[in-house]
Amino acid sequence: MTEKVHVPTSSFAEELAAIPGGEVVNKCIQCGICTASCAVARYTDEYRPRQLIQKILLGEREEVLKSRLPWLCMTCRLCEERCQEGVSPAEVFHAVRILAAREGYVPPEFRRVMDSLLNNGWLLADSYTDFEEEEREDMGLDPDLGWNDKFLKRIKDLLPIAEGEK
Amino acid sequence: MTVKEASTGGLEQPETPSALVIGGGVAGMQAALDIANQGYHVYLVEKSPSIGGHMAMLDKTFPTLDCSACILTPRLSEVAHHPNIDLLTYSEVKRVAGKVGKFHVEIVRRARYIDEDACSGCGECEKVCPVEVPSEFDEGLGFRKATYMPFPQATPHVYTIDKRGHAACRLACPTGVNTQAFIRLIQVGDFKRALDIVRDAMPFPGTLGRVCVHWCEGDCRRGNYDESVSIRNLHRFLADWEREKGETEEVTAEITKKDKVAIVGAGPAGIACAYHLARMGYPVTVFEKRSEPGGLMRYAIPEYRLPRDILREEIERVEKMGVEFVFNTEVESLDWLKEQGFKAIFISTGASESRKLGIPGEDAKGVYHAIDFLDAVARGEKVKIGKRVGVIGGGDAAIDSARVALRLGAEEVTLIYRRSQVELPAIPSEVEDARQEGVRFMMMTAPTKLITQKGELKGLQCIRMKLGKKDLSGRRRPVPIPDSEFTVALDTLIVAIGQKVPSLKLLEHVARTEWGTVVVDPLTLQTSVSGVFAGGDVVLGPSTAVKAVGHGKEAAISIDRYLRGEDLAEGRNGQLYRPAEPDVDEATFEPQKRHVMPKARIAERKRSFEEVELGFSEEEAIEEAGRCLGCTVCCECKLCVDACDRQAINHDMKDEEIELDVGAIVVATGYKIFDVSEYGRLGYGKYPNVINALEFERLINASGPTRGHLIRPSDGKEPRNIAFIQCVGARDTQKGVPDCGRICCMYGIKNAVMAREHNPEAQVTVYYADIRAFGKGFEEFYQMAKTRFGINFVRGRVGEVWEAPDSHDLSLFVEQTERDQPMMVSHDLVVLSPGVVPSPDTARLAEELGIELGQDGFVAVKDEIAAPVDTGVPGIFVCGCASGPKDIPDSVTAGSAAAMHATLVLSQIASESGQPVEVVRHQKTTSA
Repeated sequence: MTEKVHVPTSSFAEELAAIPGGEVVNKCIQCGICTASCAVARYTDEYRPRQLIQKILLGEREEVLKSRLPWLCMTCRLCEERCQEGVSPAEVFHAVRILAAREGYVPPEFRRVMDSLLNNGWLLADSYTDFEEEEREDMGLDPDLGWNDKFLKRIKDLLPIAEGEK
Repeated sequence: MTVKEASTGGLEQPETPSALVIGGGVAGMQAALDIANQGYHVYLVEKSPSIGGHMAMLDKTFPTLDCSACILTPRLSEVAHHPNIDLLTYSEVKRVAGKVGKFHVEIVRRARYIDEDACSGCGECEKVCPVEVPSEFDEGLGFRKATYMPFPQATPHVYTIDKRGHAACRLACPTGVNTQAFIRLIQVGDFKRALDIVRDAMPFPGTLGRVCVHWCEGDCRRGNYDESVSIRNLHRFLADWEREKGETEEVTAEITKKDKVAIVGAGPAGIACAYHLARMGYPVTVFEKRSEPGGLMRYAIPEYRLPRDILREEIERVEKMGVEFVFNTEVESLDWLKEQGFKAIFISTGASESRKLGIPGEDAKGVYHAIDFLDAVARGEKVKIGKRVGVIGGGDAAIDSARVALRLGAEEVTLIYRRSQVELPAIPSEVEDARQEGVRFMMMTAPTKLITQKGELKGLQCIRMKLGKKDLSGRRRPVPIPDSEFTVALDTLIVAIGQKVPSLKLLEHVARTEWGTVVVDPLTLQTSVSGVFAGGDVVLGPSTAVKAVGHGKEAAISIDRYLRGEDLAEGRNGQLYRPAEPDVDEATFEPQKRHVMPKARIAERKRSFEEVELGFSEEEAIEEAGRCLGCTVCCECKLCVDACDRQAINHDMKDEEIELDVGAIVVATGYKIFDVSEYGRLGYGKYPNVINALEFERLINASGPTRGHLIRPSDGKEPRNIAFIQCVGARDTQKGVPDCGRICCMYGIKNAVMAREHNPEAQVTVYYADIRAFGKGFEEFYQMAKTRFGINFVRGRVGEVWEAPDSHDLSLFVEQTERDQPMMVSHDLVVLSPGVVPSPDTARLAEELGIELGQDGFVAVKDEIAAPVDTGVPGIFVCGCASGPKDIPDSVTAGSAAAMHATLVLSQIASESGQPVEVVRHQKTTSA
C-alpha cells in the first residue's frame, strides 16, 4: 500500500447517500467481508465490491459512474446479509446505477437488453420459436401465451424516455 | 440491623453493617474483599458451585502471559477464609426490597445434596458416581460426574450433586422403581447393584420384567426424540443375569419387630406388601385360598410369557425373608385374624371372576371364560379346544387366551373386539406377537347371539360396529351399524370381556362400592375399618400387576406407620411432580433405534409353551442402557452415600430460602460469551474443528480436559495451521451487538501466541478488521506477536468456512484487504473470538433491583465518566463485566471502586448507630 493520505476528491458518497439505499455507504470500514462473500467475485477478477465501495468513499465519481462494474452485481445480497456494519453494497450499487443511467452511462450490453425489453415487452423474443409452442402443447399447456403489448405501452408512456426512442 | 436467626439459614448475625455482593467472579471477589477488609460484613452470592468466574477458566492473562490460576487462587482462598465474608455459592438472589441502608434480600440456596461443612472435598463420591455429563467448566469438551467440583481449586472446596427434579420414567412407575439409576448401573456394568435398586422398590424384577405394561416406557423422554428406552426388558435382564450367573446372595430373614401382620391373598399386591413389611422387620403371614402363591400371575398369565420357575423363585425369595405362607385357607372374617393376634391386615384378594356376556347360550359346551380357561391350562388340566376358536375381548386376557388356544392346537383363532385397533387395551407388543403367530383380528365387531345345537356351540352371530361419541373412559363408544349382522362358525368361544371382584365373606366387613370393589383412602389404602388396608384388583377392579405391586408397597408404608402410631397420610399427599426434561441438543442428537428383544421363531413358538421373548445379552443390555438420556443427571443410585466417610451426603436436601438485611448491594454478575453458533456461515456447532475462544482456553489449560495438550476435537491430532477469526458477535449491527467487544483483540492475540507456544511448528493466522490494542503494553504485545512469535495477521473479515467431510479440515474465503486479494485458505483448526454479552440472569436481576439496563443489555451506570460504578438506585453499585466488557485489571479496578462506594453507605450506617467498626483483616495467604 502506498503511504498517501486519502482525502475524498468529491462529495460522491454524500450524493449517493441522498439516494434511497445509498445512505449507509459511509459506515463501511473496508473489512472485505463483501468481497469474501461475493459469488461474482469468486468467478471474475474484475469485480471486487469492497474496492468499488472504496472508490466511492474516495470520491472517484467519474470512474465509478462510467465503470461497468456496478452493473455486474447480481443483487443476491449475501454481502448485505453478512456486512457487520449494516452496509448493503447491493443497494449502494443500485443507487450508483440510478445515477449512472441519469447521466447516460449505461454499458452497451445493458442498453441492448433494455432496448429488447422495451421493443418486445420481454427478453426472450429473439429466442422464441414454434418449438416452444409444440413443447407446451405436449405438456398439456396452452400454446397461446395470450401476449399483448398493452402493458408495455403503458410503461412506455410512463417512462421518461426521449421522444425518438418511444 | 436485626437479622432473624430462623430465616438466615444458620448464618451468624453480624453486628456491623453488611453488604451484598452478587456474583463471585474476579470483580465481585475484589469488591467483597475490599468491603470486608474495611471491617464490614459481606454476603457474597454466587450462582454456580464455586467462585472464580470466567477467570478460573482462563489459561493465561494478556499482555503479560501470567498464569490466570496463579493470580486467582490466592484470592479465592482469601475470600473463603475471610472472617467478614459469608460465601453463599450455588445460591441466587430471588427478591430485593427496601432502599439504601436497609435492603431486604431473599436468597435461594440451592440444595447441593452435600453438607458444605462436612465435605472435605476428598472426591470419594466422584470415584463411584456412575453418571457422566459434559463439564460446563470445560465448555463441554470434557466430562464430569453428577457429583463434581468444577475445578481443583474450587472454592468452597466441596462437592456438589447436580440433580434436576424427577425422572419421568420413575414417576410413571406405580412401584416407583428408580429406573434411571438401575439403567445407569447397567451401563457401567454394575449389574448386582442395579438389581438391588430394582428390588428396593419391588420383589419382581424378573416377573414384571416380563409382564409389566411398562408405563415408564410410555413416558420415557427419549421417546420424544426417537424411541423410548426398553426399560422393562432391562430389569428383566438383571433378573436373568442373576439366575444365570448364580451369584445370588443368600437371603436371610431379619424379622426384628413384634407386631404381626396378616395379608389375605397371595397375588402381586399381597406378596409385594409382605415383602416390604418383611424388609422393615415385621412378621407377616400371607393367607391364600388356593394351593400356590402368585394370584393371576400364577393362574392366568400363560407360561410362554412368564415361565413359572421365574415367578416361583421370586416368591421363594420373599419366603426366605421370613414371610409365612398359609395355603388352602380362605379367611372369612377380620375378627378371626384379630383373635390370632394380627395387629394389622391387608386385603388383596383380587378380581378374578370372569364377567359374563349375559346372552343366551353362554353355558353351552365349548364356551369358556378367559380366567377360568387360562387357570385350567395353568394348572395343567386338559382343556378341550376345537378347531375354530373365537375370543371376545381386547385386553391382555383376550390376547393370552387366543395365543394359548393356538398352542393347544386350534386351527384358526379369531379375536373379536368391538372397537378399533387404536383402542385395543392389550400390550401392543403382545398384540403384534399374536398377529405374527396367526391370530386373526376382527375389529369393530360385537357378538349378539350364540348359536348352539344340542347344548354345543356352533357359531356366533355378530354385528358390525362404528365409533360414536366418547364415553366416560375417554374412548369413542362403539355403536352397532343397523342390519349388519353376520355369522361366524365356531366350535370354541372364549369370553374375555373383563373380570370383577368376587363376592367373598371377608369383604362384607368393609365398605364397598356399587361395583363390589373395596373403598379405601387413595393415599393410605386404609379401608373403612381402622388398621385394615386393601389394595390391588380388589380395590382397583381388574387392573395390572404393576399397579397391584405398587399398592402392596404403599400399604406396607401405611401399615408400618399405623403400627408405630404415626400419621398415615403425612407427607404423602399427592405432591405434583413435573418430570425433568433431558438436556438434548436436537441439532447434534444422533438417533439410535432401541434394541428389540430376540424372540423364539414363530413356527417353533406358536405350538409351544416355551418362553417367547429370549432376553437381552450383556452387550445388548449395556448398549440399550446407554440410550438413556439421564434426564435428572444424578440418578440417586446413592453409591456416593456409601462411599462418603464423613456422612456428608444427603439426597433429601431441599432448596433453602434465606432472608438478609444489607446496607448496600454490589452487582457483579459478569458476562457470557456471544453464542457464535448464530453465525451459521462460520460453521460453529456444525464442524467439530471450529471452536470458540473459551473452548480454546480449556484446551490449552493444564487442568483442562486434555491436560493442556492442544489437539483438535475431530481426531485428537495436533493442529498445524490454526486460524483465529476476530469480531464474531461484536461490532455486528446485524446481530444486535454493534459495540466493540473490547477484550477480543487482545485475548485473540494472546491465544494466537499460546497456540505457537504450545505448538511452535504450527502456522497461526489471525483474521481481523482492526486490532484495537489500546491498553498499557497492548501494542507492544501485538507487535511482539507478529515479530517474535511469527503470527500472520490478515486484515479481512472471513466470509465463510467450509469443511472437507472426511478429513474435517477447514477452508475459508477471505479478502486480504491490504493486498486486494480474495483467497481461499486451508486450516485444520478455526478458533472464533466471540464478543461478550450480559450474563443470562442480568435482566431479571435488574428488574428485581430496580436498576436500568442499557440498550446493549448491560447494567447502565449513572455517568460513564464521573460515576462509572453507580447505578441509578442509591446504594446499588455495579462492577466488572456486568456494566460492559472489561479485561481483568479493569474489572478489579471497578470492583475496588464499587467497594469504596458501598462502604461509604455502610460507614454512614455505622456512624449513625454509633457503633465502632473494628477492622478485621484476614491474614493474606501466600500459597499460590
